[in-house]
Amino acid sequence: MNTEHIQLPISDKIILSVLGIIGLISLIYIGANDDLGHTRLWTNILHNSVFFTLIALMAIFFICVSVTAYAGWNVVFRRIWDGMSHFLLFGILLMGLIAIGIYFGWHNLYHWADPQTAATDPVIKGKSSFLNKNFYTFGGLGFLVVWFFFAKKMRDLSIDEDDHGDNRFAHYKSMKFYAALFLPIAGFSSAAAIWLWIMSIDPHWYSTMFAWYSSASCFVSMIALTILLLIYLKSRGYYHAVNMEHFHDLGKFMFAFSVFWTYLWFDQYMLIWYGNVGEETVYFKTRIREYPILFYGNLVINFVLPFLILLRNDTKRKYGTLILVGLLVFIGHWVDLFQMIKPGALHTSIELGSHQAGSAAQALSEHSTEAAHGSHGAGFNIGYSIPGIPEIGLMLGFLALFIGTTLHFLSKAPLTPKRDPFLEESLHHHV
Amino acid sequence: MRKYNVDLVYGIYDDEEKLLQAIRKAKSQHLDIFDVYTPFPVHGMEKALGLSESRLHIAGFVYGALGTLTAFLGMTWIFTKDWPIIFGGKPYWSVPAFIPITFELTVLFAAWGMTITFYTICGLWPGVKNPQIDLRTTDDKFCLAFDMTAVNESVAKSLLAESGAEEINTKTI
Repeated sequence: MNTEHIQLPISDKIILSVLGIIGLISLIYIGANDDLGHTRLWTNILHNSVFFTLIALMAIFFICVSVTAYAGWNVVFRRIWDGMSHFLLFGILLMGLIAIGIYFGWHNLYHWADPQTAATDPVIKGKSSFLNKNFYTFGGLGFLVVWFFFAKKMRDLSIDEDDHGDNRFAHYKSMKFYAALFLPIAGFSSAAAIWLWIMSIDPHWYSTMFAWYSSASCFVSMIALTILLLIYLKSRGYYHAVNMEHFHDLGKFMFAFSVFWTYLWFDQYMLIWYGNVGEETVYFKTRIREYPILFYGNLVINFVLPFLILLRNDTKRKYGTLILVGLLVFIGHWVDLFQMIKPGALHTSIELGSHQAGSAAQALSEHSTEAAHGSHGAGFNIGYSIPGIPEIGLMLGFLALFIGTTLHFLSKAPLTPKRDPFLEESLHHHV
Repeated sequence: MRKYNVDLVYGIYDDEEKLLQAIRKAKSQHLDIFDVYTPFPVHGMEKALGLSESRLHIAGFVYGALGTLTAFLGMTWIFTKDWPIIFGGKPYWSVPAFIPITFELTVLFAAWGMTITFYTICGLWPGVKNPQIDLRTTDDKFCLAFDMTAVNESVAKSLLAESGAEEINTKTI
């Protein structure tokens, strides 16, 4: 068997396609059973688009961090991250779709996008030079295009190096230049993109921790997906050179960044709790009162479990525990993003619904205020306050798209860079 | 614990790869290695010497958990029973405010506990005499030493010579 290029068995491709179809069915199901404003549909699309786009960003970010820091250990499987980063192409399409939706009023995701609110609400008016339709579209998509440019550049250089690399390391030096250039760009633009895409759902609220907090979420998910994908590819007979030493380091990253995420999660909470300023505490008040399971479950699944399981040395060197924790934190951070997006969008849709009497969100408004205020005993509102089966189905669809994109770009080039100057170090990696 | 007044035969190496080869060879001949001295930690040394995994991290976890409990229960007692004071309109039992100190005491207990445990196990109490087999092992040389009462001297010497030792000496420390 040729182990340099991947040729996946047909059954695995069928499984991926089935997941994709599940995603499509879920999308149609949500769309058909939604209120007229399609809040549930659009929050789900936004949620998954942002989640997987930021995972792709974290992949190219981590390549650039490794190149800049002379971190050679991951060279042997770095092409996986190259593949992941090319999901940014779909990111451009998906975020473009949401941006077009803002202009045409397809959704009520963002309160600031409502012209009446933007003109009258003093807080939103004050932020209107940043939170406006044009900046959302051209700023957000501009960031994505820049990120994709670097992702493509790094991958092209690495692939070109396979055939045309020599002992002068011109490709490597060029990669170092682009990597170092990308880091500050990614640092600032990712924060601004997260403010635009996620934090502006609660336009009255802001937190200086927020961009870090959601980046850390996506970084942990990226590492978790890398571990799961590597274990899968190894089980199919590829990546013989990737051994427990590499998994140990990936496990350490998953552990360390779970703790880092917790630090940011808690800091954001504690500063707001201490300050006790009304417009800040409302964010947590909503989440603790109406989303208690997600709010506290978030901490258990993303901190307590990975921390206790991965604390020991040997659990980072076993497939079983790595798969378990990888799945846990992947789902956990997906849910984390769910509770960042849903409450604010739901609130916006109720607000807009109530002063656009008789319009789209009216039905939802009555339905969900009832659920929100009567949540003690009235149960949860599936799709709004907890993810329902269609939400999970749609996530699986997006996951299939993400994995499919990654494997597609992975199959276009040798699995391991052949002439990277750090390849030998990576092959002999020892923790 | 180190025993002293042993007659040693030892070889000096200038490269850790040669040292690792020599250790592997000695292990395969079932020669009892007295000790190995290196100026820096050598990758793969534990495995070559067949050392079992350190249990220090278990102690570390216990100390850390002890620190967590000490801080959290201590603050709980102080701020609810012993001396309740209202800070900034918060309740007496303000868990978020306790977290940073709980974290710090966890780290403090784990770090100090592990350090003290490690030194105790190694016998490194203050004023301890630690005779050096060869001072160059603190700079750039590697040393493999055999106890002459445990191994045959000529066998040990020939192994050291074959594996590329620069010098072969005997010494009592």
